[in-house]
Amino acid sequence: MKTTRRQRNVVIAAGFLLPNLLGFLVFTAGPVAFSLVMSLSNWNIQHTVPFQWTFLRNFVDLWHDQSFWLYFVNTIYLMLGLPLAIAGSLVLALLLSQNLRGITIYRTLFYLPSITSGIALMILWKALYNPDFGPINAVINWTLQTFHINGILHALFGTSVTPPQWLLATRNLLGLDVEKVGFLPAQWGLGARDAIIIMGIWIAVGGNNMLLYLAALTNLPQELVEAAQLDGAGKWAVFKNVTWPYLAPTTFFIVVMSFIGGLQGGFEQARVMTGGGPAGTTMTMSYYIYTKAFEEFQVGYASAVSWVLFIIIFIVTLINWRLSNKEVNY
Amino acid sequence: MGTTNTRRGFRTWWVRTGRFGMSHVILALIALTTLTPFLWMVLASFKALTEVEQLNPFPSVWHPENYIKVFQQIPFARYYFNSVFIAGWVTILTCITSAMAAYAFSRVDWSGRDGFFKLYLATLMIPGVVTMIPNYTLMVKLHLMDSYLGLIVPASFSAFGTFLLRQFMMTIPPALDEAASIDGANSWRIFWDIILPMSRPGVVTLAIFTFLGNYGSFTWPLIMIKSQHLRTLPIGMLFFDTIYGRQTNLIMAASVMNIIPLVILFVISQKFLVKGIQLGAVKG
Amino acid sequence: MKTAVITVLIVWILLSGVAWMLQPKPDDLSKTNLTWLSDDNPTRREQLGLFNRLNPQYNVRLDPVDTNTGGGMEKVIVQSIAGVGPDLFDSYGSYKLATYVKAGIAWDVTDELKNAGIDVKKDAWKLALSSVVYKGRVYGVPSNVGTPAIWFNKDLFDKYKVPYPKNVRTWKEFLPILQRLTIRDEHGRVKQYGFLCDSWMVTQFIWQWGGRTYTPDGTKCVIDSPEAIAGVQFFHDLMYKYHVMPTPNDEAAMATQGGWGSGTMTLFMGGKGAMALGGRYWLCSLRDIKELKLGAIECPYGPHKIYWGSSRVTIINKNSPRRKAALAFLKYLASHDYNELVNHQADCVSPMKAYCYTDKYMHDPDYPNEDFNAVWRDTNDYAMTEEVSPFINAQTAGRIVEKQLDLVRNNQKPATQAMKAAAREVNAEIQKNLDRDPNLRAEYDRLMGTKAK
Repeated sequence: MKTTRRQRNVVIAAGFLLPNLLGFLVFTAGPVAFSLVMSLSNWNIQHTVPFQWTFLRNFVDLWHDQSFWLYFVNTIYLMLGLPLAIAGSLVLALLLSQNLRGITIYRTLFYLPSITSGIALMILWKALYNPDFGPINAVINWTLQTFHINGILHALFGTSVTPPQWLLATRNLLGLDVEKVGFLPAQWGLGARDAIIIMGIWIAVGGNNMLLYLAALTNLPQELVEAAQLDGAGKWAVFKNVTWPYLAPTTFFIVVMSFIGGLQGGFEQARVMTGGGPAGTTMTMSYYIYTKAFEEFQVGYASAVSWVLFIIIFIVTLINWRLSNKEVNY
Repeated sequence: MGTTNTRRGFRTWWVRTGRFGMSHVILALIALTTLTPFLWMVLASFKALTEVEQLNPFPSVWHPENYIKVFQQIPFARYYFNSVFIAGWVTILTCITSAMAAYAFSRVDWSGRDGFFKLYLATLMIPGVVTMIPNYTLMVKLHLMDSYLGLIVPASFSAFGTFLLRQFMMTIPPALDEAASIDGANSWRIFWDIILPMSRPGVVTLAIFTFLGNYGSFTWPLIMIKSQHLRTLPIGMLFFDTIYGRQTNLIMAASVMNIIPLVILFVISQKFLVKGIQLGAVKG
Repeated sequence: MKTAVITVLIVWILLSGVAWMLQPKPDDLSKTNLTWLSDDNPTRREQLGLFNRLNPQYNVRLDPVDTNTGGGMEKVIVQSIAGVGPDLFDSYGSYKLATYVKAGIAWDVTDELKNAGIDVKKDAWKLALSSVVYKGRVYGVPSNVGTPAIWFNKDLFDKYKVPYPKNVRTWKEFLPILQRLTIRDEHGRVKQYGFLCDSWMVTQFIWQWGGRTYTPDGTKCVIDSPEAIAGVQFFHDLMYKYHVMPTPNDEAAMATQGGWGSGTMTLFMGGKGAMALGGRYWLCSLRDIKELKLGAIECPYGPHKIYWGSSRVTIINKNSPRRKAALAFLKYLASHDYNELVNHQADCVSPMKAYCYTDKYMHDPDYPNEDFNAVWRDTNDYAMTEEVSPFINAQTAGRIVEKQLDLVRNNQKPATQAMKAAAREVNAEIQKNLDRDPNLRAEYDRLMGTKAK
């Protein structure tokens, strides 16, 4: 039988693909399947509990696991910084795309937190957030004193403000309760989660997203802008009708990637800065998986949590794809 | 007509200057916000411990010996070596495996290629935490726990790298390898002699990305490394922080030393990095 | 390009050679080489050095582990499964011992120790036994024991003209002294606290007020009993009612570094508190500060005189090919030389009781000012150790209870509600575990049945 050139080429391609695919099978595909199998068992690294198939038991337990839902909410809360960071990136990119002098210097400076992000920066921010001796609160205190803010507030409203306790406080800007999924007005304020969000924005704003926007903006056809200007469109109208639609695919890409990253995030911050505290408010889903598997040794259960996370990410991505096919015509 | 032009010109000039001036002010302010934590870190690393918590920005007495103390208290040089060594191997292996796979996906025409590629790309979506636990048990079974190999091998296969290089190789004109294949060169020769040299910017970009990513890699080494002599910088920093956490000045000195190679690498390789980020984002 | 690739490859292959050479030195093969997994500090190195000097045929090396995080246990278990575990490792408390035994890592040395003439059950401190004896079998030798007591800074007492505490028995008698030594600056901010105490010490208050975490058989969490709540409440009141002890926020503010686990000892060393609840091991650091004039008294108590005792125990890895040789190290831990060294170093107190009743212990010639050693010995008799339940993972229970205690310590939730929530959650977790494991269920039913009779 005669084989076509394309079919013969499969052998050649297979040769080139072999190293990568082998690694992929051993370290990605295999583990994914294995993880699913493990999530159906009560497997424990310590061997204190006899191995048993529990089938969907872990998933049922997960549904009733209040900690999981709290940590899920924490994860979502920490993602609230993403839109801000993305908007910030866009603004920076718009500012930088004006052919100013020194754009390379600005770009380098803005990118600095992103390139150095990691344990060192988290340790740095932990020091910055120290409630009394950290420079952040020192500056707040100085401002309060210099401008006699508390005196004025006291005279006007009979209240006063104190600097936030940052990484030590369970408070948050939405007033989320610590113990159940819900709101509690007393929890309103600035706390550990907000501190992590602020740090996240500082790191991400001048990072990859800004570079992506910048690249898209350099390719923006000037004719479109000029045509709109000739029609008498103001700056805002040009942005709204020309630039923003043009950036839609980039925005879409950034949003999807941020979403996927955000759902998996929070591990390093929790491990390095807070240990998941105070009162579990900085525990995210990925840190919960780590804790369950490597501190409480419940590997089966941890696998179930990781699969739930996987499914959430999968669904979110699918929805995003659907949306993009409808809205983005590129 | 003429007057309008002049007025228009003046207006444009004014608007340009004014707006650019504003832009510069805003940009400078943002740059300052970005830089302040770094400045604090560098200055704190030269302070005496008692001075770290004080508001004065500059140390009253400079203590460069803080940096030496870090090396005395923890095997910092060893951490440096481990990080660079491991990230280096991962980079080399990733580039090789990715380039070969990218070649198969872009330059070899085989039946089922595009469908297979899409499937392959979909694996980019798998979150790392799903594979973390099984890979951990695999490493335990293979006795690669707590070894260089256990840190290097699992990290050396990247779907992202394949994707990035495929994007690059797609842009190389097909006439080149056709000519070579008429001359009788086999696929390996074409790959090694023609395509690989032509995708140099792509490979360099991938190399920088991979190196940066693995230099700062945290989660996997955290669960893999049990011995002190294998600790990488992030793990070493974490232990330094938990054990000697009260010596903020020394911690900051260690942090400065941790990020300096990154800054240098970035300044050198900016052009490639920016290109690569943009290329990686284009949908395939 | 090709040259570059090949050059980089060659450089890294060369570096691999360097990495190979940088691996820990191959041991001296004429000796029996053993590794000991323990925390890395100068005292430990000295203890190790003494063993190696006394036993030239052995060479014990330290495998350092950070005992502050839960990593130690995972490390031992995983390394042992992978076949690269240490020959000897340290364990703290009954929960970890039980885990190591069940995981098949702890070697039952009951008979070996008997043959060597070592009777841990008789000679060691009683408080160490729960950490070393599991179901009647002995799994190692304690390497130290400790119970906290009150350190006081004599200079601060002199400065504010308060007589040194003596014969203070209860917290009620103690409070006025703490209040007199809590000093505020002109802005009303506290600059010196009367009392400093690690946050996890709240357990001791629970016990002193008559509360317990679990019922004796471990079937139920009873941390919501009125007694337990009263203990937690008093701990809370020290911060928020009497203002003699820093709140977590105050403490973080005083320490130079924020975050978790800011050290009570560091604050005490810095003169930020007149008194502090701490172990004898603090001396290892406190001795370095020459100008600090120290005193110590037994910790006051509530309705019950109970202290929080703990013991570090060294265990032999059952899977080690050198486990027979490792016995020599356990013998060393029970020896005269080691016990005297521990007392001299102030690495808590010696595991073997007798060495604390010598003149050398009471008056160490190298440290003539330390006249308080009787305190560290006598409190051991009132020590109780970590409570565990076989029906719940101690880490999981710890996470649940700590979360509620966090809320109390931060004055966000009344003690009653917090402890009720903690008990409810722990008990729910116990029930969940019973559903998951039939063996556990059988054991539970057996205990409940016997109790019903």
